[in-house]
Amino acid sequence: MQKGSVLIVDDEPIVRESIRDWLRDAGYQVATAESGEEALEMIEKQDFSVMVVDIRLPGQTGISVLKEVKAQRPWIKSLIITAYPSAETVSEATKLGAVDYLIKPVVPDELERLVRETLGAMGREPTVTTKLEAQPKPPVVEVVKVKKSFVITRGSLKSLVENLTKEIEVVGVKSRDNKYVYDRIASFDELCLDYDVTVTPPTKYLMPAKETLLKFKVGDKPRVEPVIEDIPRVIIGVHPYDIKAIELLDEAFLATNPDPNYSTRRQNTIIIGVDCLNPSPKSFAPGMGTHLTETGFDLLLTDIGTAYMVTVGSEEGADLLAKYAQVREPIGDEIAKQKAVRDEALAKYELSLDVPRERLPRLLEDSYDDPYWESRSRTCLSCGSCVMVCPTCFCFDVQDEVSLNLKEGERSRIKDGCMLVDFARVATGENFRHDKASRFRHRIYRKGKYILERYGRFGCVGCGRCAIACLAEIASPVEAFNAIAEAARVKEEAKRLVKEVRPETELYAPRFAELVRVGELTPREKVFEFRFKGGKGLGHRPGQFVEVSVMGIGEAPISISSSPTRDGTFQLAIRNVGNVTKALHALGKGAIVGIRGPFGNGFPLETLQGKDVLLIAGGIGLFPLRSLIQYVIDNRGSFGRVILLFGARSPAERLFLDELALWSQSPEIEFHETVDKGDESWKGHVGVITTLIPKIQIDPKKTMAVVVGPPIMYRFVIGELKKKEIPDENIIMSLERRMKCGVGKCGHCQINGVYVCQEGPVFTLAQLRDLREAV
Amino acid sequence: MKPKVAFFDFTSCEGCQLDALNVEAELLDLLAAVDIVNFREVKTEREDNYDIAFIEGSISRESEIPRLKKIRDQAKVLVALGACACIGGVNCLKNFLPMDEALRIVYKDDAKYYDTMPVRPISAVVPVDYYVRGCPINTNEFLKVVRALLLGKKPEISNYPVCVECKMAGNVCAFEKGMFCLGPVIRAGCNAICITSGRYCWGCRGLVDDPNVDSEKEILQKYGLTVDQVMERFKLFNAYQEVAK
Amino acid sequence: MTVIKVNVHQVTRLEGHGNIVLNARDGKIEELRWEVTESPRLFEAMLRGRSYQDVAFIASRICGICSIAHTTASIQATEAAFGIRPSEQTILLRKLLYNAEMLESHVLHVLFLAAPDFLGVDSVFPLVATHREVVLMALRLKKLAYNLAELLAGRKTHPISCIVGGFAKLPDLGELKAIRNRIEEALADFEAIVKLAQTFKIPDFVRETEYISLKHPEEYAFIRGDICSSDAGVTPVSKYLSVTNEFCVPHSTAKYTRNKRDSYMVGSLARFNNNYDQLLPRAKETAHELGLKAPCHNPFMITVAQLVECFHVAEHSLSLINQMLARGLEGEDNKVKVRAGRGIGAVEAPRGILFHDYTYNDQGVLTEANCIIPTNQNHNNIQKDFEALVPQILDKPQDEIRHILEMVVRAYDPCVSCSAHSLKVTFK
Repeated sequence: MQKGSVLIVDDEPIVRESIRDWLRDAGYQVATAESGEEALEMIEKQDFSVMVVDIRLPGQTGISVLKEVKAQRPWIKSLIITAYPSAETVSEATKLGAVDYLIKPVVPDELERLVRETLGAMGREPTVTTKLEAQPKPPVVEVVKVKKSFVITRGSLKSLVENLTKEIEVVGVKSRDNKYVYDRIASFDELCLDYDVTVTPPTKYLMPAKETLLKFKVGDKPRVEPVIEDIPRVIIGVHPYDIKAIELLDEAFLATNPDPNYSTRRQNTIIIGVDCLNPSPKSFAPGMGTHLTETGFDLLLTDIGTAYMVTVGSEEGADLLAKYAQVREPIGDEIAKQKAVRDEALAKYELSLDVPRERLPRLLEDSYDDPYWESRSRTCLSCGSCVMVCPTCFCFDVQDEVSLNLKEGERSRIKDGCMLVDFARVATGENFRHDKASRFRHRIYRKGKYILERYGRFGCVGCGRCAIACLAEIASPVEAFNAIAEAARVKEEAKRLVKEVRPETELYAPRFAELVRVGELTPREKVFEFRFKGGKGLGHRPGQFVEVSVMGIGEAPISISSSPTRDGTFQLAIRNVGNVTKALHALGKGAIVGIRGPFGNGFPLETLQGKDVLLIAGGIGLFPLRSLIQYVIDNRGSFGRVILLFGARSPAERLFLDELALWSQSPEIEFHETVDKGDESWKGHVGVITTLIPKIQIDPKKTMAVVVGPPIMYRFVIGELKKKEIPDENIIMSLERRMKCGVGKCGHCQINGVYVCQEGPVFTLAQLRDLREAV
Repeated sequence: MKPKVAFFDFTSCEGCQLDALNVEAELLDLLAAVDIVNFREVKTEREDNYDIAFIEGSISRESEIPRLKKIRDQAKVLVALGACACIGGVNCLKNFLPMDEALRIVYKDDAKYYDTMPVRPISAVVPVDYYVRGCPINTNEFLKVVRALLLGKKPEISNYPVCVECKMAGNVCAFEKGMFCLGPVIRAGCNAICITSGRYCWGCRGLVDDPNVDSEKEILQKYGLTVDQVMERFKLFNAYQEVAK
Repeated sequence: MTVIKVNVHQVTRLEGHGNIVLNARDGKIEELRWEVTESPRLFEAMLRGRSYQDVAFIASRICGICSIAHTTASIQATEAAFGIRPSEQTILLRKLLYNAEMLESHVLHVLFLAAPDFLGVDSVFPLVATHREVVLMALRLKKLAYNLAELLAGRKTHPISCIVGGFAKLPDLGELKAIRNRIEEALADFEAIVKLAQTFKIPDFVRETEYISLKHPEEYAFIRGDICSSDAGVTPVSKYLSVTNEFCVPHSTAKYTRNKRDSYMVGSLARFNNNYDQLLPRAKETAHELGLKAPCHNPFMITVAQLVECFHVAEHSLSLINQMLARGLEGEDNKVKVRAGRGIGAVEAPRGILFHDYTYNDQGVLTEANCIIPTNQNHNNIQKDFEALVPQILDKPQDEIRHILEMVVRAYDPCVSCSAHSLKVTFK
């Protein structure tokens, strides 16, 4: 066995070779493979200590490679690299023994360190010394080191601030109308660093209430251009709870689908925090663990009476002090004074959380049906004040506006909130959270459970602003948490913050496809066939959706109706029901339309392989299901029996007549069709779709059912499927919600704790049993 | 073909029509995009063949009804402009007086020459397609509706309360400054301008679709207004809706 | 036999609704009327029973063009009733706000409503093609006036920050400075408008009448002063009823007034005639350039007087802003102590002298209100102008007669919808 040998598995030559060269320079033995199959062949023949594997490989996926390796060579430690990290893949990889993961583009230092640590943890000496040609670090001023605390006089702090105002935009806490707000400051004397709480949080500088995402030109040749604000800024006076809130926003906006606008603002912002020594009577920050912080700031000030203690939190903070301020080491009792003022402040809080916060998620999970939600929300005005003043609320809406000449325009995002009435309403008018109680409960669950589970940090930092702003006095989460007090476990502290992130600036910018064919299905439904320039396929899986843009009108989520096996073009079947779909229906061949995606999880093709498949489509549920039907037909050999049931309301509303005929005549498909109400010419079966099911004989142990249709249909069809004893994990459905961004950010598609655009739209019935809002 | 646009007014102060044209260079863009064929306040020539009609003012006399109906028949799209047209506006305050009495008090013996009736918004007489709300309207919202009509799309008008925009503007809540505000049940779209200017919301844009009016009344009372005073607050602009209940 | 029938239903390019009726046969006038048909708004009825905090807010809605005038008159009436004296700072701010509206209203009238007649076109829209720069300039000036009002009161139409005792929010000094620069630039625009005005074809028609306006010893009166009549001298505002003498006529929902003669005129020309000496220098120069001399008895020259006043308010605004910048602006305690009483607020709206007369009870609730609108006071004068003018033009083609009569009405820049609601209401 060779010691310290590494196998790199990645299909991109550049990645493979650069990592190989780097590690070789560092003294390791390195081999490479360009596919999962090749990697598996190689580990048969040679031994490796560490394998660095890309999740997305052509053919055999990275995950499946991990599976094999775990089975055959369990002692090989794996490191994952990926350009698209997601909670799902990471947790799956971890279950399969991956030690850690890195996000592309990989930082050589990081990788090398991980490899070294991994090897070290195996109890082996690396075969070569790990003296690397590390880049020489810039000379650090001896006096100022990260994490250390120093003493700074008021005078020196004043001159620091005043110097900063000359060079960069400085915002800080000042007084207005006997309250406190964040605003630009021109001089140190405007600052009120001993404030209790500001009306609105400093997060407005990272996620403004309104922000332009794209500028575009409308017309036959639409064009888009991402707009990213690039203004350096210093924020002074940020309390620890707000710093924690910013850390949460970092996680939400940078970890998955990194947001270019947020990322640029964040990297341009320097945070000078201040310990909160005069808490607001509505604050419960200690209960949420946010009254103090050791991370998330560049500098942190504590007023110790005679002067300030300043703690350095980052290189940038260290540089600031070195450049603009005179500081000295603290003397003996000054450190004690810092602790003393913090303890004094702690004693001033009037509100407390009555349970350890780790127990909140479980507590909430068990209280879904508690009458508290209904009774407490009775006086809710749905006014949105709680959302607008909250530092951890970040959902948004996206809207298009054009100039009067209709030639150019902007797509902007505006802060939105789940407490507003229309947040979860879709174009047909259905509102998935139409009553106050469900909205109220959702918000509290976001604060205490869903956000924690998704990002590893609580969605509430206990600042108390919502309690102050709420006229009906029902908004404070601590009251809700305490009110339903019971124990629960909290999840482990989550992923570390991702530092080197280079998001695509085009996250929200669509690319353009040409409409090559339009077919009319019914008076209000058409099928559109699109092609990208150069004929490149969409690269989608059946069951995924895209966001379709008509610049100036807006963007709408549409399921993909064709299989990826029919390459070159892709088809979207669309019903004319809202602004965007109406505009699409008016387009003709040759029109250019914006496409983002594909998004969502798609149908679980791997699990369907080799099984009998029972495909049930109700009405326009056929639109998304058709992509799977075509896929199955194109890969007929991979499946057992294929049974297809289709139900339309009336003969006039049947869709894709040519294909229906094809399917009904095919010997490889058992096809059954029905209409709810017949007419004189209809000779076929009449009755709702559930009437087709009892007659079908199936083996529940090897049948997977895939059902797509209007919400009302699901309940009844599932009832029939359960009568056939098909287990919950084998019943698959596709759900609809209001989707706007497609990348798990804007918040509109939430069903309880999941985002339909990320964890869905395809779910198994087993998963849905846990999502109370789902059906 | 540029759409033909007409402006009409009934019982109003005519401020909304003027604010609709409170634009600078955009006027030229607007004139390039539409044909203003009928606008009594600004031009003499008129055409009675228009596609889109903007109507300001509420209906307070019998003689105004046939005129309004004629406009509805002609126009493909009818847009109510301003609080008087959308919800009745301040004109509705006179509804709280008995009709004859009001006239007699004002005109004494000559009252017989004048007629009036309970004031109502346009929607009480003919179907209305779109609303541009407020007293006066917000020029930006007016242009937004015009652009939406030009694009053939439904204008995206908010259905959430003023509080959202007030907080976005960074204002300190009016209640915290000792004032009484209708913002929590009134439709946003004005950028909470009255609160930003140091006062409070009078409700000129009308209620949101599903207001929790009872809760707002409770809150106003909690902050010290009596039931009568609360009703007076609402009456200023929302009298028609309240009376109609 | 020549028959002239002029029947203009709802005169165009006018704020409000009014009709012109003329029937003449063989040189003999059978019917000649200026009819005001505006729906009665019954504002005094709406004001009674309201708390003083809401009164100005509602009164503002009497008119969309001169809402600042109504607001100011209303607030000053309430302050007079409660015995509140506004501070020097408040007076400065009110004057500046007032100037903004005066400017906007005059620009609107001169360039959008009246100029088309003097330039021979139907409306301002064709001017976009032929006089594009002038139209853009007019829009710019209007916008400047709007922005100035926004800076002081939150909004120009139906201002927000004006309250009894002062202002709910003070303007930012930096922004005042910026807008002062814009006003200075605007003076250049005015010169261009003067050049255009010199090409106006203004009919030559003279009928002397009584001219009534405010008069103040220290300034060209807009927001305070006593009543001045060109016939009868100065009368204190408290005796306004003895000057206005309102009466009803059957063919008008608005009331008429008269004083020493059959009718009198209010507005720019009345102010110009009464207070010419107090105009600022640039304004006087402009009057001279445009051939306007005090006293002038040609109602068509009202438009020119408005242009002269534009110069005055622009210059005056610069001076006001400089004063504010020099002394700074300080927040004031706007607590109001109510008491029973009666107060009268008299201001010069763009169209003429305006009175709001309020009576409050000791709860600060309004029990009685009377508003006399400038255009009310001009209706009778218009009628008398018709009667003097028509015999002189009866030989012209019917269409021209109609046009001239319309121009007479428009010259007064009437605000008809304000005017239709008059009379005193007593709450029993």
